[in-house]
Amino acid sequence: MLRFILRRIVGLFFVMIGVSVITFFLAQVVPVDPALVALGQNAREAQITAYRHEMGLDRPAVVQYISYVSHLVQGDLGKSIRTRRAVALDLRDFFPATLELSFAALVVSICLGIPLGMLAALRRNSLTDALARLVALVGGSMPIFYVGLLLLGLFYRQLRWLPGPGRLDATIHPPTAITGLYVLDSLLTGNWPVLQNSFAHLILPSLTLGIFSTAVLLRMTRSAVLEVLQQDYVRTAHAKGLRAELVIWRHVLKNAMTPVLTTIGITFGSLLSGAVLTETIFNWPGLGRYATTSVTSLDFPAVMGVTLVAAVLYPLVNMLVDISYHLIDPRVRTN
Amino acid sequence: MTRQLHSNSRLLVLLLIASLLLVACVAPAAPAPATGAQPAATEAPAAASGDVSREDTLIFASDTTDLLTLDPGAAYEFSGIQAVGSVYETLVSVEPGTPGVKPLLAESWDIQDSGDLWTVTFKLNSKATFASGKPVTAEDVVYSWSRAIDLNKSPAFLLIDTTQVKKENLKAVDAQTFEVKLPKAVSPQVFLSVITSSVAAVVEKALVEANLGEDMGSTWLNDHSAGSGPYVLTSWEREVAITLDANPTYWGTAPKIKRVIMQNMKEAANRQAAIETGDADIVQDLGPEQKKALEGNADVKTVTASNTQLVYIGMNAQKAPLDNPDVREAIRYAINYDEIITLTQGDAKLVQEIIPDGFLGHTGENPFKQDIAKAKELLAKAGWKDGTEIEALVPSNFPAGPIDFPTLATKVQSDLEKVGIKLTLKQLQVSELLNVFRAQGAQMVFILWGPDYPDPDGNVTPFTNYDAKSIAWRNGWENKEAAALAQQAAVADTDEARVKLYAQVTELVLHQGPYAILYQPLRTYSLRSNLDGFVFDPADTPNITFALISKK
Repeated sequence: MLRFILRRIVGLFFVMIGVSVITFFLAQVVPVDPALVALGQNAREAQITAYRHEMGLDRPAVVQYISYVSHLVQGDLGKSIRTRRAVALDLRDFFPATLELSFAALVVSICLGIPLGMLAALRRNSLTDALARLVALVGGSMPIFYVGLLLLGLFYRQLRWLPGPGRLDATIHPPTAITGLYVLDSLLTGNWPVLQNSFAHLILPSLTLGIFSTAVLLRMTRSAVLEVLQQDYVRTAHAKGLRAELVIWRHVLKNAMTPVLTTIGITFGSLLSGAVLTETIFNWPGLGRYATTSVTSLDFPAVMGVTLVAAVLYPLVNMLVDISYHLIDPRVRTN
Repeated sequence: MTRQLHSNSRLLVLLLIASLLLVACVAPAAPAPATGAQPAATEAPAAASGDVSREDTLIFASDTTDLLTLDPGAAYEFSGIQAVGSVYETLVSVEPGTPGVKPLLAESWDIQDSGDLWTVTFKLNSKATFASGKPVTAEDVVYSWSRAIDLNKSPAFLLIDTTQVKKENLKAVDAQTFEVKLPKAVSPQVFLSVITSSVAAVVEKALVEANLGEDMGSTWLNDHSAGSGPYVLTSWEREVAITLDANPTYWGTAPKIKRVIMQNMKEAANRQAAIETGDADIVQDLGPEQKKALEGNADVKTVTASNTQLVYIGMNAQKAPLDNPDVREAIRYAINYDEIITLTQGDAKLVQEIIPDGFLGHTGENPFKQDIAKAKELLAKAGWKDGTEIEALVPSNFPAGPIDFPTLATKVQSDLEKVGIKLTLKQLQVSELLNVFRAQGAQMVFILWGPDYPDPDGNVTPFTNYDAKSIAWRNGWENKEAAALAQQAAVADTDEARVKLYAQVTELVLHQGPYAILYQPLRTYSLRSNLDGFVFDPADTPNITFALISKK
């Protein structure tokens, strides 16, 4: 087990090197000058020169890369060209927002997708099944921005049941930062008004972001359960007179969970990186919005920072999934 | 049963590990670089005590992606200046709607000709105090200006280049008297206009010096303020909002609104919803669809404000066939300006001269109207061969005010086709385009210009003076007469004299210059109808004075 984790971490290291090389040199071949982007058309020549020097843009690409990597191993992601702040500081500010949103979306899709998928499989070809499959079809094919606008238009603008875009009402200050996840932080500090407000603000965006993964999980659960239902051991269990609920809980669902778990892992990775649209619609100050702004202003230290975070997160989540196999499925352990 | 329990607890452990690891992903990042933002985090709850009611709060929602810094010595973006200008004050300021400057921190000033230099002496208002309660002294002014020069960030050229202020020429004669010496080439009128900009705002020396850090206090000033203005900076939550609270010790008229929240809202649709629901009191920049949707809404009123930008076509006067003034004039006559304004759905004002509406010297005359016959005649005179190609550079990712540049360029392309000019459009990323343009490498270019300071000279010198290496140079247009007139107009000592000279230079550039100026973009503000005192002044810093706004 330990060796397995170590091997994964070494692999992660190589992924990071590869990602940093690719993003760095891609940024070099783009025929645009980040200094001009940052300073605008009225900048004087002397200012541009000074800026290039300040940012180290006047050195050869290879030197820039070596200096970048040597800082990177010390945990220094460099300075953003646009905000002129440490990229690490920017990421620390914006990543928790994305994490909170993705996590909430994951909760939504697990709570909706898995039970619906189970129900659909167990009552195959019933009305419930038809409805669940409809949900999967619609959820999987509706564009995120459309769902987002629809939900905002209905629940915020028309009915006024839920608050509008953003993580909190403008008049409410964020809770004392512990994890940066507002719901968790306000819970930890016992700040009830903020807890209530941040939770209410989370509902629509997490539904929007989670609807696609709900559809994916629903389908995956349904087919996994259906497959297990046809296994010999299920028939045996029924044959030896076990109660139907027990068969389902102990034999069917447990065995069906392995592929579902994989899907959850993959889904969470894609939720994290796919939150860009949802963040745009819901004015959510997360990593996705930061990334788009950084890309359009050719802020490559920031772009590299985001890319590296994504490159680390995805394998990390997959690793967690793999570890959980070990815990959940004895067959994997004996292998 | 035990087995069941066992597997349940295993699942529980699994969940626990997963969530712990998730938290761990965030946790190491949180405490490590704490020094920078920790104060903001610890101060926020103090200010969040809810002491300000919603009625006393003004929520201003706009796209503040441009926001980079709240250091008055470094801010040069629209949102930054709007915030900084509410917190810091300058020696003199602009009276909305009137030309010239009026007293602010300085109650009077005097311009003396001292041989080879101008000597400008300011008498500071003895009542003026910082938010800390300490008086504003000449020493603070010297420090603030020297600091901006040393910082040398985006707006520093206003002091260093435009007004040629040198640190050794700044002097605190006594606590209330500040003196600055300027070269004779600099117009004292232009100087007074330039120092209404936030780069010349006064910071409290003692406070900034106590928090210098590694960058002359710039980082510190992003989360704290050291000004004398009607508001103080309470917090800046990056990408989310800036909170300004009324300065309790303000030496001038106390602002009616107790708290201003400048909220970052990138999507126009969100801003529309925010003003409809009353979640925001003012929203900036709405698209035509949003404006239409708000029509007839009794809770919302719309104010159109003119921007000082000019969207224009630059024609390089050193590259054939545009080196022929008749060809340039023909192009000006070939364009259908009215249809362009229609294209912007009314979000632009037809302006054809180099001084924008809102500035001294703007004549309001628009001599060009599409005249195909006249354009063809001019082309014939120039010996034009039908179908000769001209390559125009078009910014691909940059708004030309209400519409985007490619849309605008396509419209002009179809107009020019009618007189036999074939325009090839080449779309480039704006910074790439500027690289070519700045090196005189563009034959024709679609671009816009915004003045650096609220004075006609901020447009006329760049548009006419080849040696200033600005727009005239980029478009390869050298005209000694225009440059001389511009210089005279800049240093003329009365507004009447300046207006007269600007009229001459404007007329000259209209017909001989390398520009076809198309329009001045307009900005839309939507306000809740219970709001009073909202004024947008393109020449003032900041453009909107929050302290004048009140709620009914």
